[in-house]
Amino acid sequence: MIKAEPKTILNFLANYYDSLKEIFDLQKEFGHIRKERLQAIFDERNEHILQQLIDYKIIRKLGDDFEFRDTYFKLFEFILNEFRPLLPETIQKYERSIGTLFKKIRDGIHGDKLILGQRINDLHGEVKEFSEAVEKNTIRLLAETRELKSNVDKLDYKEKVRKASFWIDYYITPLNNILDINHAESITNKLFDISNYVNVRRLNFDDETLRLQFEKVYVFLVQTNDDLLKQAKLLTNELLPLIERIRTESIILTGWIEFLKAPYKAPLPKIFKVERQYPYSNDMYLNAKEYVQQFGKDETIILEDPQASSDKWVFNKDLYKEKMIQQLPLESFFDWCGLTLKTDYQTIETDKLFALTALLFEDGISIEVDTNKERSLIKTSQMVLRVPKIKINRYGIS
Amino acid sequence: MEFPRHHKEIVNDLMGGKFILATDQKFISLKDHAAFYEKFFKESFGYELELKTDYGFILSYETGEQLSRDICLFFAILCYELDKDGKNFLEEIQYAEFEHEKIDEYFENSSYAELILNNNQLKSGESRRDFIRTMSRRNITERNGDARFSFTPAYKVFIDFAADFAKGKVTQENTEL
Repeated sequence: MIKAEPKTILNFLANYYDSLKEIFDLQKEFGHIRKERLQAIFDERNEHILQQLIDYKIIRKLGDDFEFRDTYFKLFEFILNEFRPLLPETIQKYERSIGTLFKKIRDGIHGDKLILGQRINDLHGEVKEFSEAVEKNTIRLLAETRELKSNVDKLDYKEKVRKASFWIDYYITPLNNILDINHAESITNKLFDISNYVNVRRLNFDDETLRLQFEKVYVFLVQTNDDLLKQAKLLTNELLPLIERIRTESIILTGWIEFLKAPYKAPLPKIFKVERQYPYSNDMYLNAKEYVQQFGKDETIILEDPQASSDKWVFNKDLYKEKMIQQLPLESFFDWCGLTLKTDYQTIETDKLFALTALLFEDGISIEVDTNKERSLIKTSQMVLRVPKIKINRYGIS
Repeated sequence: MEFPRHHKEIVNDLMGGKFILATDQKFISLKDHAAFYEKFFKESFGYELELKTDYGFILSYETGEQLSRDICLFFAILCYELDKDGKNFLEEIQYAEFEHEKIDEYFENSSYAELILNNNQLKSGESRRDFIRTMSRRNITERNGDARFSFTPAYKVFIDFAADFAKGKVTQENTEL
């Protein structure tokens, strides 16, 4: 169990991001973090965060050394858009898991509904993981191949071809086979079959909950098929012809590829910023038109007397009479008025208090006043009133 | 006092952010009186005149960063896609005429889809047409009817930038090594 609050952990990640990024890089490069390297990172920044890293379950001990936990590793990969390439044989495992789940769903379609629902959920999860794995791999492969094309490291042509062949043989071609719709054994083909099956079930399955689950999976599969088609297109258009593409090299293209890595942080060529607008300039007509269109909205404006919109209190005599009658006998009428107004409106307003005095003149009650008794004070929002103590009883009953 | 020929048009064009191209008759006057115009823009507005062999433009202290970035993105993706298409991108930019439809095809199938969709000037065919019109107003592109356009020599500002950017990166990498 993690003792710290989730917000504390997130703040920690933000505060010590630079150190964490370095630790992440070490994990990415070596598959573990040597304790000496970790100490060096802490010493460099004078940050002593080892215990927190362990407590928050960001890293764990591995013999004498450490390793970045997978959850955080994936988070860093995601926010940095830097994914480790998965070997296509690793991605291939989804073919088996998706295939098995699909077979079980088909065979057990009339079986236990609970387990069928669970299988549909699991299938959804597996397909999602598969499509994310493919997307991450494509992002990584694109980055690697652009790097080769850009060739900032000035590799010679032979070395470039060697690297390109490596990516093509071990990653790009096998991934293409997984995605190739024309390949009978491809996962894409399997997903296509599944979506056809699910399409029928989402329309005619007798249990409504499961029908909705089929519907959800169907929508997801349609979208996934579109996404995979896009990835397959990138592979065939951009990655497979890699050897051909690295044949040419240009310093200009290197510049553009490097620029496109972070276009919003890169320096820019200077071009003139037009600031002044002269009434006789050629663009004035269009600029004025744009301005008028933007602000000249033709909306109906209604002007109202602001007082009219304020709430005018209307004394509902019947309501308050009923309230009063229910609470009879009253020891002090004005105290009751104060209490009632306070309950209904939080404050006692003089106007409302005076309005309530009208109840004294209603039928069905008898009033008793001892004029010698001391008067009580009622504080309204505007003034303090000294009022006599008026006893009220039901008429005829004393 | 006598002013060079086309003085008013030269000032209007340059102050409107336009490139004056060598094919324009104003360019001769601008070039012949380069010293005058350099002084004129510097003294009157604090602007620098940049005069190359086939185009001229002025620069203010404050620059149009947004437009400059969008133009760079446009050139960068176009060059990348032309190269991917097996074309000599530099020759294409220098000499070819582009059809909007072909540009749409390049941008819609680009692997830089995320950058394209996040940029208001480049995200759709319609916005790209508007953007090319904006570049035309500055004489960076030349519209040939409604469906086609080509680049003027002003493209060099951006292509030179890419080469300088690469050189900077290469030096940086080597220093790091």
